[in-house]
Amino acid sequence: MSLSCRILRRGFVPYLEGELRPGRAGRLERHLAGCGECRTLIERVRAGHEAGRRFGRLSADLPPRFPAFEELAAGRPARRGLRPAVAVPALVSVAAALAAILVISGGDSPLRSRDSAAASRDVKADGAFTPLAIREFATNSRNRIVTEGYVHNVYYDKEERTLHIKLAEGPRDTEPFVICEIRDASGLTIPREGSRIRVYGTARFDAQPGRGWHEVNPVMEIAVLNR
Amino acid sequence: MARIVPGDRDKGLILAARRGDEEAFREIYRTYREPVWSVILSLIGDPLQAQDILQTVFFKAFRGLAGFRFRSALFTWIYRIACNECRNHLRRRAVPAVPLEDILGSRYEADDEQGPDRPRTRTDALKSAVLALPFKMREVVVLRYQEDLSYEEMSRVLGCPPGTIASRLNRALVELESQIRRIEGCP
Repeated sequence: MSLSCRILRRGFVPYLEGELRPGRAGRLERHLAGCGECRTLIERVRAGHEAGRRFGRLSADLPPRFPAFEELAAGRPARRGLRPAVAVPALVSVAAALAAILVISGGDSPLRSRDSAAASRDVKADGAFTPLAIREFATNSRNRIVTEGYVHNVYYDKEERTLHIKLAEGPRDTEPFVICEIRDASGLTIPREGSRIRVYGTARFDAQPGRGWHEVNPVMEIAVLNR
Repeated sequence: MARIVPGDRDKGLILAARRGDEEAFREIYRTYREPVWSVILSLIGDPLQAQDILQTVFFKAFRGLAGFRFRSALFTWIYRIACNECRNHLRRRAVPAVPLEDILGSRYEADDEQGPDRPRTRTDALKSAVLALPFKMREVVVLRYQEDLSYEEMSRVLGCPPGTIASRLNRALVELESQIRRIEGCP
């Protein structure tokens, strides 16, 4: 493939759509007349382009209904039995929380910050997330919480394919603890063991045969308070 | 999919959201949930997973609005989040492929030569062909033909130059043609 082939091929789709300027279209046609490889290729691109256009005309399979803000704000549960990457209620409540937080903090959202600025802010100012000490999980009835503690260890659960952080109250404590389950680590700072962190998310109790512990699941945000 | 017309309205919504106007968040969600859903569903193929990803996309979009710099249109920015989320999702879900015959034995094919997942209609075949494309190719096909984005807009969504988009689209269309022939059983 020559350099001119490579350059002219970029114009195949605009050419097929009639969007190539006359000068470039003429140059492409002259090239096609003398280049069998490009002629073969443009026919395959043409077939793919037609398929693409048919694909574009298909009506979208919309979900039965989109979650409405009003319903979500009322705390109606998300789809049951499905993995809540970020639960639907959280979507809206986070929007509402963001609204409040953005006003409180003048645009510097604690959901966004991952630095020492977060450490200096009282968690109680975060409004939408109830501050909760790790020892208080046993008696907690709130859904969205923010908690703080020391990272005891970080491990990957192969079975659940999620990242877990075991969080304890003191730097050398092993009890009480809470397991913070990260389903989507993109955009999150994964803390080092021994660091103190603040975790935003949903409080749950994970009861399984042979074990039972309190969780923050899913974790929505992590602020590293000290490394 | 109808094109979204970005502009001052989006800017106003973003500024209002930053001021804490909850209605602005709602309006952004109402405006973009349908096109974002369509992109995610076409990239992932599974409605249940798509719903999870949709929630994550809007969560991240709302979280990131405070840092939005108006260097791109809101819809290209949200599409970018959606494409990244789909890519991350598929990466996390990636499992080594094991041929079905290895699990069920060689009689499996003889029992059902049609195969259980053979598309029933041409529409199904088309969707299957798009889903069978490598992810980067699928992205450009979906954004170009379903969402009707220009090369410039795709370039912003995917974070690569328009020339790269053009080359990738060529390769994607050639591959799409091959996939359709394969699915429809043509030699």
